[in-house]
Amino acid sequence: MMNTELILQTAEQIVSSWDWLTKTNRPEPHRLDVRLTKLSDLVPMIVGLRVKRLGYLGTITGLDHGPENGELEVLYHFFAGQAVITLRVSLPYENPVLPSLCDIIPAAEPYERELSEMFGITLNGLRNPEHLYLPEDWPAGVYPLRQDFDPAVLEIHNKKELPA
Amino acid sequence: MTTATPLKERFTVPIGPQHPALKEPGHFDFEVEGEVVKSASVRLGYAHRGIEKAVESRNWVQNLYLLERICGICSHIHATAYCLGVEALAGVEVPPRAQAIRTLVAELERIHSHLLWLGVSAHEAGFESLFMYSWRDRETIMDLLEGLTGNRVNYSVNVLGGIKYDLDAEQSEAILQGLQFLEARTHHYLEVVTTDALFLQRTRGIATLTRQQAELMGVLGPTARASNVKRDVRVESPYAGYQQFPLQMVVAEGGDLAARFVVRLNELFESYRLIREILANLPEGELTTRMPRRIIAGETISRVEAPRGELIYFIKSNGSDMPARVKVRTPTIMNMTSVVKLAVGHQLADIPMIVSGIDPCFSCNDRMAVINNQAWDWEQLRQYGIEYYQRQNAE
Repeated sequence: MMNTELILQTAEQIVSSWDWLTKTNRPEPHRLDVRLTKLSDLVPMIVGLRVKRLGYLGTITGLDHGPENGELEVLYHFFAGQAVITLRVSLPYENPVLPSLCDIIPAAEPYERELSEMFGITLNGLRNPEHLYLPEDWPAGVYPLRQDFDPAVLEIHNKKELPA
Repeated sequence: MTTATPLKERFTVPIGPQHPALKEPGHFDFEVEGEVVKSASVRLGYAHRGIEKAVESRNWVQNLYLLERICGICSHIHATAYCLGVEALAGVEVPPRAQAIRTLVAELERIHSHLLWLGVSAHEAGFESLFMYSWRDRETIMDLLEGLTGNRVNYSVNVLGGIKYDLDAEQSEAILQGLQFLEARTHHYLEVVTTDALFLQRTRGIATLTRQQAELMGVLGPTARASNVKRDVRVESPYAGYQQFPLQMVVAEGGDLAARFVVRLNELFESYRLIREILANLPEGELTTRMPRRIIAGETISRVEAPRGELIYFIKSNGSDMPARVKVRTPTIMNMTSVVKLAVGHQLADIPMIVSGIDPCFSCNDRMAVINNQAWDWEQLRQYGIEYYQRQNAE
């Protein structure tokens, strides 16, 4: 069993070598944050971490930095013992697209479905892109965890559904 | 003469959303061929309450009470995960006595949750007397928690920076007595679930999850440990009082329903041992420390072991008195996806046992959306509160 420091150092080597561009930092002693500048690096980098058996996918967090910044951010958290490795990718506000991890990590499916319905991110290769949490009649194009979400949309939508 | 309908015809049996196994909503579609399940799918979200969104418009203290209400069974662990995360962000050191009591309540909660699960699972197996007895014994823990905190559920033990309730000698004596009774009962239950022939027919070799499958599906908590996956946050990444009071990981080899019973019951013994150790060596000192009203900007990840497995809180602050984002990952979501895979090939009659075998918690699972059309504003809520307590006092 590797200790936390060794895990983080190995992960840092993997993510800062090769030809991908990353910025790494340690926000807390047991955490490594990796900012990816190229989306196409995401899948090979995760494969790299998996090959070295560096942790399991804990969860995927979506962040909305607000319409004024026009940026969404997706965080992939990997846990190994005490160590936490977070891969961060930025996405544009309009038409955000991510590759699905389902082929390499089947357990990613519920996280990706949640991400897609809550933030409106399209996941390429997601086996079941249907709603996981939101109702079937949820209005299209309304994403509740976006900063600009306005609950008034639902009031109009729900009133329309009611029989006269 | 040939029959008109082919024998291999498949039907879809919808189960739920009203309590498929427990008194909580979830919807399953099982495609059956005769009695045998050929494929299954799950639909969640019936208890979706918009909590992650609501968190973003409340301050750090209000959120503690909101997040504690994600789940009625493992409420304390949700509050603990949140507090530990916010304290880490603020860079606040919580007194050791507070951490020890947090851990003690977390273990009491685990005992109550595991006993509740034992009852529910026994009920699904048609073993009503085990159900009744285990729930009777669970009352011991409920009474202890009520004596300690004033509440049977949502104990509200945590505050940011510490805890609310201290423990005196009388209460700790009551806990020890309660544990003595429960330990004897747990030995009995362990004997029942491992020797009762009828019960074993419902559990042995049912819904077997090998170690590789468990790792691939990412199952967590006792469900994973029953498949010999050594994954327990209390041991891997000790938090709160688990650094001072280390825990032994309980695993089993079988991976089937029987192993899940054995793991959870053996975990109870470990909880009893830990609680006794905490009571014998409870550190002296303060219960709380000062917390700032605004939390410095930053992000943190707080991982704790809920009764059902690893619970993750991702907390982001932008320096104000409200969190910028709180993401909750509950263990049930991972375990739930294993159910639809496990169900395939089993008799339809085994499904309730398989579903309850992972100890699902739909409220934890769902958390987020459904927005109430008849939302009350603050004034209406306040008025309701005043009238409610006036009525209570009048009676």
